[in-house]
Amino acid sequence: MNRKVLLLGLLLVLPLVAVLFLMLGRDPHIVKSPLVGRAAPAFKLPAVGTDDALGLQDLRGRPAVINFWATWCGPCIQEHPVLLRGAAARKDVRFVGIVYDDKRDAVEEFLRARGMAYPTLLDESGATAIAYGIQGVPETFFLNAEGTIVAKYGLPLDEETLDHYLKLASSPPAAAGSGR
Amino acid sequence: MSALTRRAWLAALLAAGALPAAAQAEPPQPETAAAAASVGPPRGTPLSGPALDARTKEVAALLRCPVCQGLSVQDSPSSMAQKMRVQVRELVAAGYDREQILKHFEASYGEFVLLRPAMRGVNWLVWLAPALGLVAGGVVVTWALRRGRGAA
Repeated sequence: MNRKVLLLGLLLVLPLVAVLFLMLGRDPHIVKSPLVGRAAPAFKLPAVGTDDALGLQDLRGRPAVINFWATWCGPCIQEHPVLLRGAAARKDVRFVGIVYDDKRDAVEEFLRARGMAYPTLLDESGATAIAYGIQGVPETFFLNAEGTIVAKYGLPLDEETLDHYLKLASSPPAAAGSGR
Repeated sequence: MSALTRRAWLAALLAAGALPAAAQAEPPQPETAAAAASVGPPRGTPLSGPALDARTKEVAALLRCPVCQGLSVQDSPSSMAQKMRVQVRELVAAGYDREQILKHFEASYGEFVLLRPAMRGVNWLVWLAPALGLVAGGVVVTWALRRGRGAA
């Protein structure tokens, strides 16, 4: 075979192979959030089951977990007990659920049946979900006590993962890392 | 005119004068407040009517639906896309221009949400690679043809 043709072919093909090799292990559905490392977007939403509203400023001063979910979401149902246990075990952390694209009645029924350990807010217009860059549910944001997002997790939480991110959120600001 | 009637007229005039002030004191919608926080105050002219509809469609067509495979916010039937279209419309009505609105959504979702990647950094590869590939292919074909004629 002509050496020049072989070299030219390798020159064209090898970079493509390298890119394929590097990207094969990545999940194409995970998009890095630009909000990690920045102040969490403000919100003030009505709480389910009360006449109150809760805002981001009410979470300041302690690490916080903001979990976006919906009653029609199977993985959200799967992770709900993990969040309940996490909230019960870590009283030093504020937990908040924000329900996206759902009905108040359905949410109240869900919480009555499956338990509620922290405030659940209703984002009817979807403005808060958009501000947080939600692509689907569940998605969970971990904030430090200053209100900076230290991580975003886009899959259903398990105990180990929740513990890992709670440690991150509770660490001093220099120890914070990036999210998925 | 009696004193009572004069007082009534005065009260009515004062109340009418307070209405514009009350309207101005109305808090901004959450969407425009969020946009103000990410991209500052509106740079364009508030739109309404057909101009509002046209600009909303134009901008929504440049945004990727975050929950769909490659559909624009304008074309996607998903609930998220509908909510984003509503937000685009409110921002256009408030006077935000196209670049500000795209930047506002990019601040939440990242570059991923732009259907036309911005021409910066490694994105230049996306814009130039097809043209470069065409040129490289042309060079290879020309070389191969000349070589073939030379051999003949």
